[in-house]
Amino acid sequence: MTPPAPGRSRRLSDRWLAVTFISPAMLLLLAMSVFPLLWALYLSFTDYSATRGGRANFIGFGNYTAILTSAQVHTRALTTLIYVVGAVGLQTVLGFGIAYLISRRTHGRGVLTTLFLVPMMLSPVVVGLFWRFMLDAQFGVVNSMLGSVGLGQVEWLTRQRTALLSLVVVDTWQWTPFIMLIALAGLSAVPKYLYEAASIDRASEWFRFRTITLPLVWPLLLIAVMFRAIEAFRLFDLVYILTNGGPGVSTETLSFHIYKVAFLGFNTGTASAYGILMVLVVIILTQFYLRYLNKLKEG
Amino acid sequence: MHSPKRIGRMSTTGRKARLATAAMLLVATTMTACGDGKDDDEKASAPKAPATIPELTKDPLTLSFIWFDWPPAKALEAFANTEYKKVRPNATIKVNTVPNANWHDAMFTQFAARKTDFDIAILDSQHIGEAVTNGNILDLTDFVKNNIDVAAYNPYLLAAYGQFPQAETGKRDENASLYGLPLLGDTWTMIYRKDLIGDKPPQTWDQMISAAEKCQADNPGVSGLAFHQANGSDAAAVTYNTVNGVYGGNLWDPKNRKIEGVLNDAAGQEAMDVLVNKMKPLTAKGSGNWFIDEVNAAVAQGKACIAFNWIAASGGLLDPKESTLGTTREQILDKLGFATLPSQKTNLVPLGGMGMHVSAYSAAANQAEALNFMKWFEQADVQKKWAAAGGVPARTDALESPEFLNAGPFNKVYADSVPRMRDMWNVPEYARLVDIENTNVNAALNGAKKPKDALDDIAKEQQSVLDSSSRKGGGGL
Repeated sequence: MTPPAPGRSRRLSDRWLAVTFISPAMLLLLAMSVFPLLWALYLSFTDYSATRGGRANFIGFGNYTAILTSAQVHTRALTTLIYVVGAVGLQTVLGFGIAYLISRRTHGRGVLTTLFLVPMMLSPVVVGLFWRFMLDAQFGVVNSMLGSVGLGQVEWLTRQRTALLSLVVVDTWQWTPFIMLIALAGLSAVPKYLYEAASIDRASEWFRFRTITLPLVWPLLLIAVMFRAIEAFRLFDLVYILTNGGPGVSTETLSFHIYKVAFLGFNTGTASAYGILMVLVVIILTQFYLRYLNKLKEG
Repeated sequence: MHSPKRIGRMSTTGRKARLATAAMLLVATTMTACGDGKDDDEKASAPKAPATIPELTKDPLTLSFIWFDWPPAKALEAFANTEYKKVRPNATIKVNTVPNANWHDAMFTQFAARKTDFDIAILDSQHIGEAVTNGNILDLTDFVKNNIDVAAYNPYLLAAYGQFPQAETGKRDENASLYGLPLLGDTWTMIYRKDLIGDKPPQTWDQMISAAEKCQADNPGVSGLAFHQANGSDAAAVTYNTVNGVYGGNLWDPKNRKIEGVLNDAAGQEAMDVLVNKMKPLTAKGSGNWFIDEVNAAVAQGKACIAFNWIAASGGLLDPKESTLGTTREQILDKLGFATLPSQKTNLVPLGGMGMHVSAYSAAANQAEALNFMKWFEQADVQKKWAAAGGVPARTDALESPEFLNAGPFNKVYADSVPRMRDMWNVPEYARLVDIENTNVNAALNGAKKPKDALDDIAKEQQSVLDSSSRKGGGGL
């Protein structure tokens, strides 16, 4: 038998030291993330209600079937999809545009970037509240400005189309800086010699943008889009403050609907299944997205 | 500099030990979080409060309430800390408040945790069923028999704020259990501009609409009507229910638990038509998300001819600091009138207000103090003092007292409205029923649904909620 290598006991103690340091964080993760997820997974197969109490009866895939076949859920899924595509699309175009313009400036770049980042630092509840006041049809500053240029009052938050549009605008106002920041990092990393070479070849501005800037920034931009899309998919706070899902249920997103299922009727089992399904959708879509990103990288 | 050596793979035994430790931790966490399951089963129904008040503590004690943030909450805390302290100097009253939209959630999420940071929940009358069936509040039946003079109340008020199963309009079941006692009575008042439509308020709903129409046409910039239309809380639902009652409709058939075919019958359809096609066009543009504060703001800014609001929330209208209608209370009262709701086919008005309910999870000393507070609060002289402090009492002698009738111009409106009140359902499914009604009425008011479709959808979806008890999965969708 081979004798233990010298210093092995020291390595072991290093390992145990590492375990000791990591274990508080691991325990916290286990208690606050892993356990609730597994518990929600268990509840999703039951008819448990947090307020009614009693035993949780196993009902198999009953909750999942009901959610996947519910017309109400389909409506909320469509609303969420429109919102995600609209908000993230707009944020990407604007964020990249602003980053591109800032990257071309030599003076005041830092100050401009900091100023643009301010909305992102605010709490969504604060943002929702002051936009609610600004978009008020009667007393809001937005309609007042429209009135001063001769345009009529718009019911921003109480009409079906304008209410969803308002949510997209407010989210775009708050989160465009995030895309801008990532795009700016990408733009700063583009090697200058490529532009110099293109200039020598008398390449047009558009050609340089299309063949140098965009391809190099694109992968980074896609990561930013992914983060934003995941966030937008979970939208709750702005809806709660700005429209409360109205008019009717026309701006109710999936997260807002889960909140109602979970807390208005305390149907904990159904709400758990609903939440698990949302997590699954995000995981599956992210996997496809990451594969596409990897292909881009390999290409 | 040397790079650290890669540590070799862990031995099989070591990995197994760690896996076992992780599994044990997970199981332990699960057990801790789930408990032994006994609690849930043991508290399947409301526990009984003692018939007599247990001995009260002599130590300092804070008696906590939970309510939503509005003027009566502040009035209650100030009143109780002044008056109750005279009889119980060691007790301090704390009225915790949350935004109206979070009121139900704030109470019931704590009930769900079987632990509350409040001793007395101020529940809307409709919340009672949910709290009783979940065993969240004490059964006060025996306590009331021994300590409260039930003959001093209009029976319906006593029933509305405490009885479950629910009382039919105007009737109290003497044999039913009581789970709460009245704290604050309330109903809608019609607020009208005397300077614009005259001193005499409209007597019928049709007259009211005509007066609002004429006033709007004669006064550009002033809308004919202002009322609750928001899809949060019970805003739009109460508005529809009020018009439904006035036009002779019914919300449901409680005996057979039928909503479909009852709510959306001819009377119900007519009420929805009146609300959406006759009343809504007389409101301000963008008022589709208005609730209590927005209606009050429109009245105080002189932007509405006729408005409807809860009496308990109307006090601020007489504050010159918040109004453009006058620089003194008298000047404002020269322009604003308060009246009972106009009648049409019936004279029903909505029942508002709330009762006091003792948390089943409160400490024994606090439960005893809560019962003592309720007994004290329901005495005749205290009810009159509460009326003078801005509260709306429930005892008949207090309602008829000069202290109450002279405390505000709308108090007589309340006293006159008591025999005309009708409440919503107080079944355990209330929160879902009201959400269905709110969102659909709000959709109809804001053009997102045709009125008839909205009403039919309400009836269909609410019926489905009532019938869903045997459904396997998907409850709450």
